[in-house]
Amino acid sequence: MFYSKVLETTLIFSIFVLSVYPLSGLTGLFSLGQGAFIAIGAYTAAIGTLQYKLPPAISMVLAIGIGILGGVIVGVPTLKLRRDYFLLITFGFSEMVRALLLWMAQLTGGAMGIAGIPYAAGLPLIAVSAAFIFFLVANITKSGFRRNCIAIRDDELAAQAIGINVYWHKIKVFILSASISAYGGALYAFNMMFIEPNLFDWLESAKLIIIIFVGGMNSLLGVFLMSVIYYTFGEVFRFASIWRDLILGVLVIVVLIFRPQGLFGTMKKK
Amino acid sequence: MSRDVIVQQILNGISLGGVYALEAVGFGIVFNILKFSNFSHGGVVTICAYFGFFISTRFIPSLWGSLAVTILFGGVIGILVEKLVFRPIRIQNKPLTYFFVNSITVAMIVQQFFSALWGSNYYPFPAFIKETVFQLGKLVVSKSYLLMLSMSAAVLIALSLFLRRTKTGIAIRAASSDIHTPALMGVNTDFIVSITFCIAGILAGVTGFFLGMTYTVTPFIGSMILKGIIASIIGGMGSLGGGVIAGVLLGAMESLLIAEVGASITPIIIYFAIIILLMVRPQGIAGKLYSVKA
Repeated sequence: MFYSKVLETTLIFSIFVLSVYPLSGLTGLFSLGQGAFIAIGAYTAAIGTLQYKLPPAISMVLAIGIGILGGVIVGVPTLKLRRDYFLLITFGFSEMVRALLLWMAQLTGGAMGIAGIPYAAGLPLIAVSAAFIFFLVANITKSGFRRNCIAIRDDELAAQAIGINVYWHKIKVFILSASISAYGGALYAFNMMFIEPNLFDWLESAKLIIIIFVGGMNSLLGVFLMSVIYYTFGEVFRFASIWRDLILGVLVIVVLIFRPQGLFGTMKKK
Repeated sequence: MSRDVIVQQILNGISLGGVYALEAVGFGIVFNILKFSNFSHGGVVTICAYFGFFISTRFIPSLWGSLAVTILFGGVIGILVEKLVFRPIRIQNKPLTYFFVNSITVAMIVQQFFSALWGSNYYPFPAFIKETVFQLGKLVVSKSYLLMLSMSAAVLIALSLFLRRTKTGIAIRAASSDIHTPALMGVNTDFIVSITFCIAGILAGVTGFFLGMTYTVTPFIGSMILKGIIASIIGGMGSLGGGVIAGVLLGAMESLLIAEVGASITPIIIYFAIIILLMVRPQGIAGKLYSVKA
């Protein structure tokens, strides 16, 4: 029972990591607001089921829809600009969503959060979802879509010069990532049965990025392994969960200096 | 709402805006040289806030003494962070993404470290100045706000003089427009980068001290630099003057909104306004748009 709970949590968080991978690992865009999309998904799912009595499956679809909408609102004005604007606005967006959740207390329960969400996402659904998303992202990373991403990451100007529509491509990647995050958030809500606004702050979003860089930004399997190790460790050794972040932090600095391809990654020489 | 209350709120906001301006400049000065968003600045602010707290309660129970020591300490921490975290990837000519990842890592390490050690406690600074107020006509000016405003102004003026009048300052400004060319003119780039981080650290020292004094010291105090970063966006990324103006404006607007419509909806309005601003005028107040260069 305990281990299946650990497995569920690990897989849900791995879905979050997988959702960031195309964005940060491949395209080199950093979103410190990924937590906001997770929260949007989780809250949409919870409110849909509890207040509007929708079946969980429909709430999940709705969660993805609202996640995509949020992605459009943030992405369209900022992705035209330099990456730093995108990064900082996503950061601001996550703070805004947090403030909104606190403010709309009648709908969201404010700081108390929402409890009593029906349990609708057991291990089978989570495992199938994680596997599906892994293969989705893996297929993306084999396609021309991936080559476009990497071209944008390594040299945006050159990517534009060979005819990639950089702006449009970034929007596609960001919306893909936002929708997967929102779906993961919905799974989280239906699995944990309790959500509150402070669950997904910027630090949580930052960790997703850091895990990708420790795992290796060119290696999807490495990233997945790293996230499984990190989150399993955190669940099994609950008492050490803060020290785990310190280890991760020191690890990423050492890795970026001495082994930039990541712990499990391979890097092709240019 | 009467006019006096509005003016009063703006006045309070400007003092808080002074701290936002310090944050914006500390964030912007590193952005100018290395062109990445330096989130480790928030970490340095946190370290300085804790240091300022311990030094002022344990060792130097005076305002100016502990402020001065905290400022020096901030400068040293800034240099240390640069040498340990950023220099190794800079000499390998790594892409900008690595700098960014390292900077959020430093922010995370600092926050989690202090959470692990002293996370459950809140540390209030000792009361240096008795909470006295000046009466200016109908306006009330609190002494600690006045101190904050005048110190922020003094630090920013000193920095501006340093950047304009000294050889090192001119080299920093040259490196802001292009870091490689000054090296050809005989400028020691490594030294310039170190000095820049030292300045950012000094600003973080002042910021941390004042934030600790105004609020209490918690591991999350570093997240407050978000306001400064936002001021830096409104002002135009990398424009220090724009950042200062925007910081003061943001502070004034914020306290006005809090008084007018309430504290819970204020952040929503501010972030929404910033997204709109970026759509209409991405280059910010100062009108300098950074784009990706070849």
